[in-house]
Amino acid sequence: MRDNAGLLHRHHLLLRRLHSLTGILPIGVFLIFHLTTNSSVLWGAINTRADAEGLARGVATFQHEVAWINNMPGLLLIEITLWVSIGFHSVLGVVYALSGKPNVRLYAYRDNWRYTMQRWTGYIGILFIFYHVATLRWGWSFLVPGGAQWSHHFAASTLADALRGSTTSITPAGVGVSLLYFVGVTSLVFHFANGLWTAAITWGLTVSEQAQKRWGAVCTALGAGLMLAGWSSVIGFLITDRDQARGIEERMLIEHYGEDRADQIITEHGHADADTDHNEQAMTETQD
Amino acid sequence: MPTTAYAHDSTAAWRRANRERALPGRTVILKIKRCDGPGKPARWESFKVPVEPGMNVIAALKHIAANPVTADATHTTPVVYDANCLEEVCGACTMVINGHARQSCSCLLDEYAPREGDTITLEPMSKFPVVRDLWVDRSRLFHALTRVKAWVPIDGTYDLGAGPKEDPASQQDRYGMSECMSCGCCLEACPQYTHEDDESKWDTSFVGAHAISQARLFNEHPTGKELKPDRLDELMTPGGVTDCGNAQNCVKACPKGIPLTESIAAIGRQVTLRAFARFFQGK
Ligand code: SF4
Ligand code: SF4
Ligand code: FES
Repeated sequence: MRDNAGLLHRHHLLLRRLHSLTGILPIGVFLIFHLTTNSSVLWGAINTRADAEGLARGVATFQHEVAWINNMPGLLLIEITLWVSIGFHSVLGVVYALSGKPNVRLYAYRDNWRYTMQRWTGYIGILFIFYHVATLRWGWSFLVPGGAQWSHHFAASTLADALRGSTTSITPAGVGVSLLYFVGVTSLVFHFANGLWTAAITWGLTVSEQAQKRWGAVCTALGAGLMLAGWSSVIGFLITDRDQARGIEERMLIEHYGEDRADQIITEHGHADADTDHNEQAMTETQD
Repeated sequence: MPTTAYAHDSTAAWRRANRERALPGRTVILKIKRCDGPGKPARWESFKVPVEPGMNVIAALKHIAANPVTADATHTTPVVYDANCLEEVCGACTMVINGHARQSCSCLLDEYAPREGDTITLEPMSKFPVVRDLWVDRSRLFHALTRVKAWVPIDGTYDLGAGPKEDPASQQDRYGMSECMSCGCCLEACPQYTHEDDESKWDTSFVGAHAISQARLFNEHPTGKELKPDRLDELMTPGGVTDCGNAQNCVKACPKGIPLTESIAAIGRQVTLRAFARFFQGK
């Protein structure tokens, strides 16, 4: 305990500044890519080069991007860097947040609300990221109503299953998960946009009040854009035609890997109660 | 007893309007949070005060000292408070009035209690140890100024001669910061500045916006900047500039309008540059 305190003391500035830095790089930059990728399930509908029709183009675009990411070299290294950064930012963030005593009741200024919200969105963000990564990346499907397992080969359909709590309809538990995603994403986007604004003060980039205002406008615009991307992701996966999506994903799988390998993947990654025609077909084909 | 929120008090327009409509010859209530000494329990007492033209809170407290009888006719002791200049330049009379910290000597009853029977609430600042009633011990605030060496080093064994000239623009910049009267309003309002009675922790607990701004004031002084490295090194340690959480309450609470948040950012920049210099050049 004393050693820890000593370590924190000796490297106080370094730790503080690393805390600030990790929030932007890699975490914030990753958030930007993550949300633009995910929202492609909606905006992908305008991607005329996608191999599908209408809204389903979004599914194809999103699947294409997920496949691209999953073929990135050093993906695991990127993931580990992110996990370590998020862990570091979270632990120090909680320690720092607990050092203050919010007083918005007496000093109800907007900036003071920002300060208080930054702490609350941090707490919410930690819980949400843990649930998000545990269920969709580490496969803790017992935490997912309906037990969906996310698969990068069936990115949109399995995500829709996980958000809706079932492969066929939106269950009450699914509404809960969707709301959690909505609140989680909203919190994290606010936390990032506001953190980006205060980081400029912390590092001493924006000194004068006008500079802080100008940078505030930039951060607000970025935050609004990301908020839109985050919300459209959640909405996108909720309105996706799940079975059609599954069909597109299987077709893309076959195009990419050929029939035999695709069948294998479908068996390995197939959802337990997935009941689409395509899937059953694929299953029987494999059994044959 | 919980304190109520008095958001309206923060608007100058509300106070100005009250001054216009204040009734002459009225009686107002002063509700005061009292405490007999360090570690003793706090209690509330109310006093009726007949308002005289232009009366401020200190004058009302003087009236109570001469007639220490509460509103329910109980005899009590005079209320203890601190004051000195009576013109808002020493900071000694700072207390929490209707929920916000400010100087009581410049606080007009007309602005806060314009009607018959209106109540003004007085409390000691919550971030410092109470000596008695409304009188607090601001030692930690001054300790923070010694931590950041908020002075110009001119002591020596021989005549150092005239100092370097300062250009008028920099003088203008620094003048605002030099108006700090160490009152503690910025600390009372700051969510990152928390009550700390244990003196041994004052070297690692948050120095507060006033000290950061004073460090900037003296870092930018032509002779004062000799101590700039010392000041910045101190502000890199626990309780330094990094402990600010950017709530920006301080700048709104400062009665002298000192650009505290700009000072915090300016010191943030100086610390960043010094840290890089130290990393790449060695000590
Ligand atoms: S900006 Fe910093 S010093 Fe000022 S009130 Fe906020 S946390 Fe306190
Ligand atoms: S900076 Fe302002 S509020 Fe803080 S001690 Fe100085 S005069 Fe008072
Ligand atoms: S007595 Fe000096 S500021 Fe009020």
